[in-house]
Amino acid sequence: MKKKNKVLAAALAGAMSISLLAGCSSSAQQGGTSSAASDSSAAEESSSTTAQSSTAASGEEDNVIRIGAIGPMTGGSAIYGEGAQNAIEMAVEEINADDSSPYTIEIVNGGEIADDAQDARQAMNAYNLVMADNPEALVGSFFSTVTLPIAEQAAVDNMLLVATGATNVDVTADKPTVFRDCFIDPYQGRMAALFVQSEGYSQVAVIYANDDDYSNGLKDAFIENCEALGIEVVYEGQCTTTDTDYTSQLSQVVASGAEFLYYPCFQDTVPLLVSQARSAGFTGAIMGGDGWDSSDTTGLESQFENCYFTNHYSSEDTSEAVQNFVTKYTETYGTESLNACASLYYDAIYMIYQAARNGGGTDTASLVEGMTGMTFTGVGGTFTLDENGDPQKQIVFNTFVDGEVQWFETLGPDGEVVASRES
Amino acid sequence: MTFSLFFQSLINGLNLGATYALIALGYTMVYGIIRMINFAHGDFIMIGAYTLFYTVPLMVDSGMPAWLAVAAAIVVCAIVGVLVETFAYRPVRKAGPMSALITALAMSIFLQNLAMVLFGSRPHNVSAIFSLPSVSVAGVTVSLNVVLTIVIGLAIMLGLQLFVQKTKLGKAMRAVPQDRDASTLMGINVNRIITVTFAIGSALAAVAALMYCTTYPRVTNDMGTTMGMKAFIAAVLGGIGVIPGAMLGGVLVGLIEVFVRLFAPGWYEAVTYATLIVILLVKPSGILGRNTGEKV
Repeated sequence: MKKKNKVLAAALAGAMSISLLAGCSSSAQQGGTSSAASDSSAAEESSSTTAQSSTAASGEEDNVIRIGAIGPMTGGSAIYGEGAQNAIEMAVEEINADDSSPYTIEIVNGGEIADDAQDARQAMNAYNLVMADNPEALVGSFFSTVTLPIAEQAAVDNMLLVATGATNVDVTADKPTVFRDCFIDPYQGRMAALFVQSEGYSQVAVIYANDDDYSNGLKDAFIENCEALGIEVVYEGQCTTTDTDYTSQLSQVVASGAEFLYYPCFQDTVPLLVSQARSAGFTGAIMGGDGWDSSDTTGLESQFENCYFTNHYSSEDTSEAVQNFVTKYTETYGTESLNACASLYYDAIYMIYQAARNGGGTDTASLVEGMTGMTFTGVGGTFTLDENGDPQKQIVFNTFVDGEVQWFETLGPDGEVVASRES
Repeated sequence: MTFSLFFQSLINGLNLGATYALIALGYTMVYGIIRMINFAHGDFIMIGAYTLFYTVPLMVDSGMPAWLAVAAAIVVCAIVGVLVETFAYRPVRKAGPMSALITALAMSIFLQNLAMVLFGSRPHNVSAIFSLPSVSVAGVTVSLNVVLTIVIGLAIMLGLQLFVQKTKLGKAMRAVPQDRDASTLMGINVNRIITVTFAIGSALAAVAALMYCTTYPRVTNDMGTTMGMKAFIAAVLGGIGVIPGAMLGGVLVGLIEVFVRLFAPGWYEAVTYATLIVILLVKPSGILGRNTGEKV
């Protein structure tokens, strides 16, 4: 009996050491950051040599665009990463299968998105991981907090970066090689305020995550525009991205008499907030930004009535580009991970492809040249990149019916209704 | 502050506190018996929550009442608790407290990673187990679900206290930490008592998972870390190793968190930890802890 115990204990100890080793590999990556950071000057040198060598390579007409991708593959928002990985594979297959296309695309890091775990520190590990493969362009990441350090370093390294979901203003500001294919926070916050006005609410409350750049950016823009439109902000509450309890803030919201609650945070906490808001007796509208995409409404179908969020695209949008994307994606990968993140990574790959055609080469310098000021038509509509590298694009309002996301309306850059469900 | 807001917050605080208290009981019972802090206890809650996530729809589909899922969660948690104790903690028990602590930390990481492999890293919504309506009393909206969980929590704490004080097994559980060798001489099977303690502690984690999921219907593989940390603070605050201390500590931490968040949402964790430090400075053994020197 005792012997048996020992054997089992050894087996368990073995299993645990494996899990510890698994832990080690990530900490080894972490260790890698500091050394990589100290090598950043070396990296700078090597990237400039990379640029030269790839120019040489394009002189040899290799015609392969090497792209590094970064995204949230683990953590509370792993569903975004899943969609992104699928969408990238789809875009690359389409471009490479087209015989008439002058360029092919190769995703470095073995075709895998480097995982930033939705964490600013992990972001640099992911950045260094893909940079080790000498890419000519980078795609990612999805969260502003994560993308900000990546964008800083990409600007230093003169690396072309197409940020996907990062809506914070500072991501592209003063960085000539950094672009994005999503709208920016002030714009999203302004649209939310315009929506409040058009729906006729006069008293609003805000709960935002004070440890998150995205949430702060949306909150500031929303409040500023509400005040400009004469809408009273009766309560402003804080939380953190890791909180699970909002009962205190919500009882304040109810006590303040607000008719509308703005919650610019991410989908992993949205079901918690909505269910707690409804059980606290809040019956008004609850609205969020694109961070609400893919919120899990299972078991909370009735609580999610009268909830809205702004987004980059809607799968119900009737435009041809959207419908092609939705059909192809659903055939191969199903609908579970079909989110805006997937559509943004998909567009980003096509933007780089178009930049190569515009710039006439696959080296980073030609790609940047081709990208600057580009007009692009994709899943996210037709848009032109402005002097900061930000698109002026349409915004989609979604609501929930029986727990399913339903397209409500699409507004253009100046707040005009482009299309709506009623019309 | 209006009365309704105060009353609402009181209910919220009691709800959160009752959950913390139930988890803190798990820490305190194990510590009380073998002087070991079982850092994997928070992850037992995660296991309980995943069991609920998978069994509630099963129960509903097969036409059985949803609360039977709690029984399943209790059984699963108790089995996991006993397995962990038998195969991970018992072999290192004689190697000293540091080995036990490290083993517990490793166990916590192991369980979290195992859950990530088995269930994925995405959060899941747990279906409602109770679907009682909310009632409005004097401008306060009180969810009867919350009232029910508070009542369940209190009943279990009361039952546990009676069990430890009045039954033979409970007496044995109190005897073991006083003098392990003497207990053996008195015919108490120490290993069995420790196993029973782990089984009860883990079963409490399953009930805590139920209470947690009623208010916060979400399960993730790392949910045990924060919950476990808060409950650990509650246990130390109340006096670790003392059962009523865990209850008091849990309710206090819950109330502090809710009321601090009313006025300064960003400060609630700082205030919780500061309270712990102050209590430990004034009374190192915790609020209800007996001031006896540590046995060497």
